[in-house]
Amino acid sequence: MVHIPRVGIGGPVGSGKSMLIERLVPTLAQNGYSVSIISNDVISKEDADRMRDNLATKRGLLPENLVIGLATGGCPHTAVREDPSMNLSVIEEMEAEHPDLDLIIIESGGDNITTTFSPILADYFIYIIDVAGGDKYPRKGGLGIESCDLLVINKIDLAGLVGADLKVMEKDASRIRRDRPFEFINCRANEGITKVAKHIIHDVLLDARPKSEIRQRARS
Amino acid sequence: MDTDEIEQELDAMQISDSFFPTGAFATSNGLEYLFTQKDIRRKADLIEMIRVSIVQQMGPTDCIALAYALENSNRGNLDGVIQADNTVFATKPVKEIRDASTRSGIQMIRCVAGFVSHNKILSSYQDSILEKRAHGIFPVAFAVCCSALGIKKEKGMAMLLYGFSVAVVGAALRLGLIQHFDGQKIIHEIKPVIAKAVKDNSDRSLLEMWQFAPQMDIIQMSHEKMDSKMFIT
Repeated sequence: MVHIPRVGIGGPVGSGKSMLIERLVPTLAQNGYSVSIISNDVISKEDADRMRDNLATKRGLLPENLVIGLATGGCPHTAVREDPSMNLSVIEEMEAEHPDLDLIIIESGGDNITTTFSPILADYFIYIIDVAGGDKYPRKGGLGIESCDLLVINKIDLAGLVGADLKVMEKDASRIRRDRPFEFINCRANEGITKVAKHIIHDVLLDARPKSEIRQRARS
Repeated sequence: MDTDEIEQELDAMQISDSFFPTGAFATSNGLEYLFTQKDIRRKADLIEMIRVSIVQQMGPTDCIALAYALENSNRGNLDGVIQADNTVFATKPVKEIRDASTRSGIQMIRCVAGFVSHNKILSSYQDSILEKRAHGIFPVAFAVCCSALGIKKEKGMAMLLYGFSVAVVGAALRLGLIQHFDGQKIIHEIKPVIAKAVKDNSDRSLLEMWQFAPQMDIIQMSHEKMDSKMFIT
């Protein structure tokens, strides 16, 4: 069976996981990449429905049936780490039915700073926090912040309003992450999204051209 | 008990443990719908819901399929296993329950195949799922795993129903319907129901499979369609 590269996105409630996906998908689509989304939500299909509406129904960036909401029984952490059975099954079904996809994005439901993804489930793990939680967040560490492949710090436009010092966050993130990357972004203003997309294209897709493009070249 | 027997007990504990990765923690079997509609409020209501599910649904369907599949697995008869798989799949009217059951079953087979090697029926059943001749539905996948680990039929049936009861009680706890000591009391009180369901269904043929719990079916279908929910139906 085809293995489609998978990116897991986790982070606290309200940090901007869904918004990041809603910004990333069009950026990846502009580069020709075909993406599907699995949204693990604690309480509702709301995020999946909104993404389906925004990305599939209104903009036609992906088919509606490739945005899937998975209920997690109130345990979003368990569904992506200890027991990813349901996610894995859904992914295997996608891989069988849509082998031409370039990427699968798996969103974890909002959880605490110890969230991590099973490496069996996700090839690459993005952890997102936002400045509204205070500039102490990177310093506090936690499995998610420390072990993710890419740390994303969102809502930088709010830093001044909530008394968060971005320089402190940068210094602490550098110290705690050592040589692992982190990026400052503002999802609402689409700021920094290209940098996150570049990480995905380089680190996960290994700069490979989209499958649709490769197919087209092979035909011509 | 000799060490082999102790190991076999441990095999049974391992695959019936709620820690075993099948995704069952995310299911409530319709309980969430009853809870949000305020149709279930007391411990006694929860016991009754579990009892009805076991006596009217799981006992005469999943347990019969498990027993039949386990006996056929022990005999190395893949056709019998596939027959049980297809028959019990057809008894599940709620799509989300069918999907969750097959997803759990497929992951269970894969997980057990990772530590039980050289079991022909296990690998043949896995192949038949890939070839789409079987669905991989949970009670049959569970039966094949029990057979591979030398677990006896009645014990496998009891483990299946116990696991189901724990999943519903776990969902009730997370919904805030009961407290943790209540959960254990409920599991204890449901044991005679499980025992009787095992006894009643262990020697039935696939042709004797039935289920009749229309209210539960409607509850589960309503749950499936809820806009906002924590649990897979």
